[in-house]
Amino acid sequence: MAAADQPILDVRDLRTYFFREEGTVKAVDGASFEVFAGRTVGIVGESGCGKTVTAKSILRIVERPGRVVGGQIYLRRAAHNGQASTVDLATLDPDGAEIRRIRGGDIALVFQEPMSSISPVHTIGNQMVETVQLHTGLGASAAREQAIEMLRLVGIPKPERRIDEYAFQLSGGLRQRAMIALALGGHPRILIADEPTTALDVTTQAQILDLLRHLQAQEQMAIVLITHNLGVVAEMCDEVVVMYLGRVVERGPVDAIFHAPKHPYTRMLLRSIPSIHAQVRTKLPTIAGSIPHPFNRPRGCPFHPRCPDFMPGVCDQNEPELRAVSESQAVSCFLYGAP
Amino acid sequence: MMEAATSPDYLLEVRGLRKYFLIHKGFLRKLVGQVRAVDDVSFSIERGQTLALVGESGCGKTTTARCIIRAHAPTAGQILFRTDADTVVDVAQLPKRQLRPLRRQMQMIFQDPYSSLNPRKTLLDIVGEPLLVNGLKNRQERVARVADLLRLVGLQPEYMRRFPHAFSGGQRQRVGIARALALHPSLIVADEPVSALDVSVQAQILNLLQDLQAQFKLTYLFVAHDLSVVKHVSDRVAVMYVGQIVESAPTEALYTAPKHPYTESLLSAVPKPDPRLRAQRIVLEGEVADPAHPPSGCHFHPRCPYVLPVCRTEPPALEAIAPGHFVRCHRARELTLRGVGS
Repeated sequence: MAAADQPILDVRDLRTYFFREEGTVKAVDGASFEVFAGRTVGIVGESGCGKTVTAKSILRIVERPGRVVGGQIYLRRAAHNGQASTVDLATLDPDGAEIRRIRGGDIALVFQEPMSSISPVHTIGNQMVETVQLHTGLGASAAREQAIEMLRLVGIPKPERRIDEYAFQLSGGLRQRAMIALALGGHPRILIADEPTTALDVTTQAQILDLLRHLQAQEQMAIVLITHNLGVVAEMCDEVVVMYLGRVVERGPVDAIFHAPKHPYTRMLLRSIPSIHAQVRTKLPTIAGSIPHPFNRPRGCPFHPRCPDFMPGVCDQNEPELRAVSESQAVSCFLYGAP
Repeated sequence: MMEAATSPDYLLEVRGLRKYFLIHKGFLRKLVGQVRAVDDVSFSIERGQTLALVGESGCGKTTTARCIIRAHAPTAGQILFRTDADTVVDVAQLPKRQLRPLRRQMQMIFQDPYSSLNPRKTLLDIVGEPLLVNGLKNRQERVARVADLLRLVGLQPEYMRRFPHAFSGGQRQRVGIARALALHPSLIVADEPVSALDVSVQAQILNLLQDLQAQFKLTYLFVAHDLSVVKHVSDRVAVMYVGQIVESAPTEALYTAPKHPYTESLLSAVPKPDPRLRAQRIVLEGEVADPAHPPSGCHFHPRCPYVLPVCRTEPPALEAIAPGHFVRCHRARELTLRGVGS
């Protein structure tokens, strides 16, 4: 069967807008990428680039006044008869039964701040047993057994005791492990991790990244890793999607993005990150200016006011489309093709 | 007196600094324990140089910084500061009244540019306040000085009547820097000044801090957790673990030839922005020890890959193993550890 080389999640031209009194914020304005089983896609960008809204759009949990206004989110899933079927998540009712089965079942989400995403008034076990029961239909004691097994799998010591503790009793690293265990309760095929290690110390971060890699190999899970940390992307991802102000500016295999970046933003972003391999006390190349406020998105290419390769009359007039520059790499920039 | 012993090259010399927080419990506030947040910390910074204090959360780096500007009263130890009048004072011992004239000479830059600026005040009020408090009563002069300061940090002076919410994180951090510079300080204590900023903005602020240092001969105590950032700004680095400095050395030496196993694992844990360098990382077991109940012997021994029986019982001392290179490890002289090259 050719299923292996087909994406399990295929996001095409996703648009999510926020309709506010002051105006419309195009938080995600044409994002396209594919997610394959057992592989990791990194979505990178700075604040306001739309990476988190993209994740929320996939699960249809965008808060009002935000709404998915365009595009398709195709999820391939095994149907009852063993045949694969495809469902477009963008067309589902965000409060409907189907998307609720998908959330935590097919696609699970891990947030940056575990303290605010785990209930403080229920024990870890309570919440896990609920998830497991919801997605597997097991009885209470069998579900508890499975929950303990999950906690053991994510490396929580003495899981049979920890399961009856509350989130505040765990350290930051253990809480993030518990959060991952909670997400894995429904055996998802896709794990969306939104800045899963940003709040953690480097040595704990290394542990959590190792854990994610290990679980991925074991469960053949696809991971969508959302982060601003290019070091984490380089270590974890197979493919990378670079976003800027709601648009995908470049997409490609991790090696191409880091060693042959095409878009001026990707190139400059990579140059401006502090490196542990740098000479001591050297200055960093910078990107001029700052990220525009989403209400004042520049006309044309959103990056043109900060771009060193800005072409007057072209970049400020037309919006570039994402175009393939090689078999696997695509870039949205007029340097690689006139409008 | 001990004070006399400090070299004229040093702007700041910290000796045996300790800060213990007492834990009280119950209705009678009975003393049940203490957190040794800073436990015998010593270092010195030469005038015009940058010392980075690095470590993970709870290691005591921020508490150390706060003791130095006397936001906390230290439990013990000396903080010898060379004033503008070229006298050496022990900040740890000074009564509040005598501390006041010193505050001008040591200023702080904070991590969070959102909560460190008063949202109800304009930039003129925020940057002008230290000037006003220190006697610059003439409004016109103050406006002129604030305009100079804003220009200095790369902001347009026309913005001075706006409120912080109109600015991005990077611009706000520039405002915080302008405020810190208003009174011509000699020492700047910067607590994670770029960790809340976006990558593209972080580089701008790091470069600005370096330019200002060169221009005004500023001395920085740079508190940070990010070893990549630290390498770009510091002359010396001190690594803290559970309230103690475990290694301090010139930056190059610390990165290329670390001598403490904790430094080695920290360097190895930093994700490198190059997919071709997916090296074998040293992943430490367990978690940072609780400073209320630090492990016996060497605090790092439960996580150390090179642990010996002696490490469990004998606390190691901070020893010089090369000029300017101090290590707190029983095996510092025999271990060959992996660093990162330039």
